[in-house]
Amino acid sequence: MPEPLRRFTPFTRGQLVLLGLLAAAPLFGESLAASGRTVVVYAILALGLNIVVGWTGLLHLGIAAFAAIGAYVYGILTCEIYPFQLGFWGGLAAAAAFGAAAGVLLGAPTLRLRGDYLAIVTLGFGEIVQDALKNLDTITKGTQGINPLPGATVPGVSLLSSASQVVATKSSSVADGAAVSGTDWVGWFQISNETPVRWYFLYLVVLSVIVFLCRNLEFSRLGRQWFAVREDELAARCMAIEPDKAKLKAFAIGAALAALSGAMLASVLSSTGEPSNYDFQISILALCIVIVGGIGSITGILVGAIVMIGLNNVALPAISDAMQTAGIGSTSNVFTSPNNYKYLTFGLALVLMMRFRPDGIVHSRKAVQK
Amino acid sequence: MSASLISAERVTMRFGGLTAVKDVSVEVAQGSITAVIGPNGAGKTTLFNAITGVYEPTEGRILFSGRDPRRSLDGWVIASCVATGIAMAFFLAIAVRVEALWTASVIELYEYQKAFPWAKALGAFGSSLFGGGFWGTWVPLLIGLVFGASGRFVIWSRSRRTPDVVASAGVSRTFQNIRLFPELTLVENVIVGMDRRLTSGFVAALLALPSALRERAQARGEALKLLDFVGLGDKTEDAAGNLPYGHQRRLEIARALASRPKVILLDEPAAGMNPTETVDLMRLIQAIRDNGTTVVLIEHHMRVVMGTSDRIHVLQYGEKIAEGTPTEIKNDPKCVEAYLGKEELG
Repeated sequence: MPEPLRRFTPFTRGQLVLLGLLAAAPLFGESLAASGRTVVVYAILALGLNIVVGWTGLLHLGIAAFAAIGAYVYGILTCEIYPFQLGFWGGLAAAAAFGAAAGVLLGAPTLRLRGDYLAIVTLGFGEIVQDALKNLDTITKGTQGINPLPGATVPGVSLLSSASQVVATKSSSVADGAAVSGTDWVGWFQISNETPVRWYFLYLVVLSVIVFLCRNLEFSRLGRQWFAVREDELAARCMAIEPDKAKLKAFAIGAALAALSGAMLASVLSSTGEPSNYDFQISILALCIVIVGGIGSITGILVGAIVMIGLNNVALPAISDAMQTAGIGSTSNVFTSPNNYKYLTFGLALVLMMRFRPDGIVHSRKAVQK
Repeated sequence: MSASLISAERVTMRFGGLTAVKDVSVEVAQGSITAVIGPNGAGKTTLFNAITGVYEPTEGRILFSGRDPRRSLDGWVIASCVATGIAMAFFLAIAVRVEALWTASVIELYEYQKAFPWAKALGAFGSSLFGGGFWGTWVPLLIGLVFGASGRFVIWSRSRRTPDVVASAGVSRTFQNIRLFPELTLVENVIVGMDRRLTSGFVAALLALPSALRERAQARGEALKLLDFVGLGDKTEDAAGNLPYGHQRRLEIARALASRPKVILLDEPAAGMNPTETVDLMRLIQAIRDNGTTVVLIEHHMRVVMGTSDRIHVLQYGEKIAEGTPTEIKNDPKCVEAYLGKEELG
């Protein structure tokens, strides 16, 4: 008798190893923590996309639009130039809620479209959102972006002392080479760009919670409905499942996660950036992470995010730097600057995966049995 | 025989110029095994599709226990039409003048690092929203209201008798060309079939609350029992797509039974089965009936049809040519002709 509760461990072994690996990253240098935040943000974006593409089987080419919506909602609701100023956590919650609402708004009238047609609608939505954000410059500040935006905080603690004071005490005590002073414990909770390690750990906790929630959904009634709709919509209908509702829920949850990731990225950058930062490339990058990592597999998506973003933000710049210090590289020449290879590597990764391992680096549990 | 569970009254299905089913009436008695037979292309599967809601009959109606399962125009539907209309109206009215509204209610009132007059801003927003004149306010409001409400209404009217509505009324089916969920395991396939009876909500599932876990464990236990019942108890964790053909047919039956239907419609359950499997299948069909589920089957295998059914309906070219007990049908010259052709005289 296979024990039914075995699957309700919060994480699989693979997920624990990957989350542990991510947690250990700052040991290899603080700069890794800074790029680690990007890895986490893209992992969340790809987890959202996976619910729509991997689990429900709907091709979605405009996930970046929801990230943009999340970033701008976070921007508008937290920036000092507007009266709302909800703070970091309020901003994140609002971004996810608005993302879900936008998902419903796009999904409700269009989810009855099948296959390619839905992909075209999502692609168009991605372009429309960018253009709308660009042109609503009274609200979104156009190509300038909304800034500055608040960074991550742990609630309650930042009230004790202002950020600059803590950073100042901290740096002075470090400069003195003195032992950690009595008041410095406050600094541990104070998260800022000067201490990206703590910020990174906070984001890692958020990612872990999302992995846990996604995993619960995967084995829930709703998850089974998604799979059934993906495998055979008519058969699912004949089992009294309403595919439209299941798809709409997938769309809304996927959009909420994408919006959350957008807000988290905006918080890291302290700016929403310009609307064209959330273009088709980002949607494709998220899709690459899902496909390369293993479509439908949470563990696979963590791997995909680490591989793709690691390649993009850590490995290629590091190689470029190394080549430059060695005197063989120059930023002016495309061929001698691996930093410019990122789209090439994405394409290459996709082609190689399709040829040698079409189910992704980590097979989803269903594909294993094939 | 007790009251009829399904009564299809003068059902006609037309696809363009083609009449696939013409004026067919079928009564299925509670607790019986009813067979629908006929040569290929006689319209048997089309009749099944009409019964289960895959198609809407062109003419005629299909009642289950005297009721037509349709989404009715109840208060919820009307309320949701109105709510969608109002939401769309305001969305459109805000969307067309969003910058003006923003300027009036936020930019003009907010001074950096000063307390924001929320009430005043809300007032400014309202007066600006309704101050856009005919084209700025009332036309968008009207268009949004009309499109939102009518869109929601159209969705309702098109999904009045979809398969999920019919399935919720206790009608379950299998398919001629097997339609399992191939990448899910056997157990998961069966649990999907159970979906109509599960109650756990989104939040419970998201947080893996004990209620959701308990329901899942129960569903799993029940699914294992059902798989045992159809004789698949030994490979419950395989992917359904990897099963041999005969087993896939059994799994489809288990999945259909999982919803505890009042009636189960089997579309050629014996297709592709060897003689031993066919005998097992006949036993299974009888066991299903003995457990209280009415069975309707389409079948070409005469041994299965004659050995199990209480009543047989014969279709040819979309029309019903005979109805009766197995013995009656065996001796009906019209049926023999439909299957074997006319005896050449002289």
